[in-house]
Amino acid sequence: MGAALLEEFGRGDARAREESWRYSKMALRALAQQEFVAADANAELPETLRTQFDWPATRRRRVVVVNGAVSERYSDLADVGAMVTVGETGGTYAVRIDGKIDEPMQIVYVSIPSAQPSRWQTNTSMVIVNGFVTLIEQHVSLDGAGVLGASRRRIDIGEGARLDLVSLCDLPESMSLYRLLDVHLAAKATLHATHVLLGGRMQRLDMQVELAGEQARLESRGVFALRGRAHADTQLDVRHVARDTTCDILWRGVADQRARGIFHGAITVAEGADGSDAKLSNKNLLLSALAEIDTQPVLEIYADEVKAAHGATVGQIDERALFYLRSRGIPLADARRMMVTAFCREVLDGITDVDLRNRLAGLLVPHVDGASA
Amino acid sequence: MLKIENLHVRVAGKEILKGLSLEVKAGQVHAIMGPNGAGKSTLGNVLAGREGYEVTQGSVVYAGKNLLELEPEERAAAGVFLAFQYPVEIPGVNNTYFLRTALNAQRKHRGEAELDSMQFLKRVREKLAVLHLKDELLHRAVNEGFSGGEKKRNEIFQMALLEPRLAILDETDSGLDIDALKMVADGVNAMRSPDRAFLVVTHYQRLLDYIVPDVVHVLADGRIVETGDASLAPKLEEHGYAWVAERKLAGAA
Repeated sequence: MGAALLEEFGRGDARAREESWRYSKMALRALAQQEFVAADANAELPETLRTQFDWPATRRRRVVVVNGAVSERYSDLADVGAMVTVGETGGTYAVRIDGKIDEPMQIVYVSIPSAQPSRWQTNTSMVIVNGFVTLIEQHVSLDGAGVLGASRRRIDIGEGARLDLVSLCDLPESMSLYRLLDVHLAAKATLHATHVLLGGRMQRLDMQVELAGEQARLESRGVFALRGRAHADTQLDVRHVARDTTCDILWRGVADQRARGIFHGAITVAEGADGSDAKLSNKNLLLSALAEIDTQPVLEIYADEVKAAHGATVGQIDERALFYLRSRGIPLADARRMMVTAFCREVLDGITDVDLRNRLAGLLVPHVDGASA
Repeated sequence: MLKIENLHVRVAGKEILKGLSLEVKAGQVHAIMGPNGAGKSTLGNVLAGREGYEVTQGSVVYAGKNLLELEPEERAAAGVFLAFQYPVEIPGVNNTYFLRTALNAQRKHRGEAELDSMQFLKRVREKLAVLHLKDELLHRAVNEGFSGGEKKRNEIFQMALLEPRLAILDETDSGLDIDALKMVADGVNAMRSPDRAFLVVTHYQRLLDYIVPDVVHVLADGRIVETGDASLAPKLEEHGYAWVAERKLAGAA
């Protein structure tokens, strides 16, 4: 298979890498056989892309990364205040936050295709020393010759600090993206993360979270909604290292037509991490006979006095409910869309910003078109 | 309004309805009584258009149209309503949103103007007042976490809101206490009108003390075996369904 790419995107030893890419092997191999040129970091931002992320609420608290490089031209941090410092060291763009920030910040990754397939990569780090911040992350692109992006980010959340991360990845069919999110939480730190994965030739999210300090807490919400030949692979790896740590994971997946979705949720409760509470729920809907979803919850416990619950299902749309809606006059396609949207929306309930929540829900709709069977 | 002739229906390869004939005129309330397994629920489901019910023979004409050719949503728009015996829970779909979507889909299908949210809420409040319902149930997901009684009340509320021309109540009385039963009956009685018909499917006579039918049919083994006026119901209650079966045998001999 694509040994070089596996080397690049894989983690752990050779066996662990092979195993974690099991369901995306073909997709990775196809990428490995393709030639990519370096993406142009100075590419002009098309207006159609700007409208996708130009939310007035974050206009002056925004970092725009064009083809992997932070763009001075399109970023605007005029209103972030003294509590935020940014800088670049050794190719890593670093953000440091020290204090409570009331308005959300935004980081946008723009992938602009070239005439030939192109690729970019970027490394960022974020340290939240204390306080609270909401970060809206977005990946946007255009259909074209194809882009392969790789984004690696390390986030450290300090004692008692909190990060609310809302990550939206709505990719065209020609775009592939590898993301590594590596989060460390100190005592009483909280991460509330909501991931929305839509479309993409191949998108892979590796999210590893270490609950390193006592009473650290992770709430992970996520959904993938896939159509066409989209392929999304999510790998969560949560480690309870300290006592009384909590993780609460709720993910949904929907695959229609020939799409492929993968969810792997691993929780490890290390020796000594007593009093930990781990919860994982993953439910999936297959909307077509040609679609495929693989889900794998893995729970490993080496501590005593642990509360743990996990469950994963792959099912089809409830025909009884569908008939119920139709019997009230709702056409089949609308009834399907209504049910699938409701199924996905559950993961957005934790987003307190109503505008943001509705916006995300609205983006889901075209990905759960009720017409196809 | 509704004319069913010699209807034969198979479910999972087994014949359930075996030549059922029935005519309901506008303004009438027909009760269909019968023992378990007689085919009562099958009748309701076939009329509403549920999948898995194979009509092998016979016809159903509703308002001059072949009802069996229509999709479930087309039947609803044409005025057919089924109050489910087991209303379905739909997590995540808000009851108000569902009802507004349903009502507007029906109106759109009929070429009527859709209601905006103000007009819709006004209509909802009117119906709630008539049925003495709390609006709390509107803010929840469709039937989710509703008690058995709440689910049945919600069915009647939907019926009141959608104003069908032919309402089929499939054992709406089962599992209801006396207050809920009266509420269901009040809902139906308030809606009785010269251009609306009801088909009330029930196992017990109790509901018919409150909704006095024009015609009572006894359904047994897939056929109507006895038809009479409202006085037939208490007779059945007194003698049991075996009485009908005996009479049928006596008649055949």
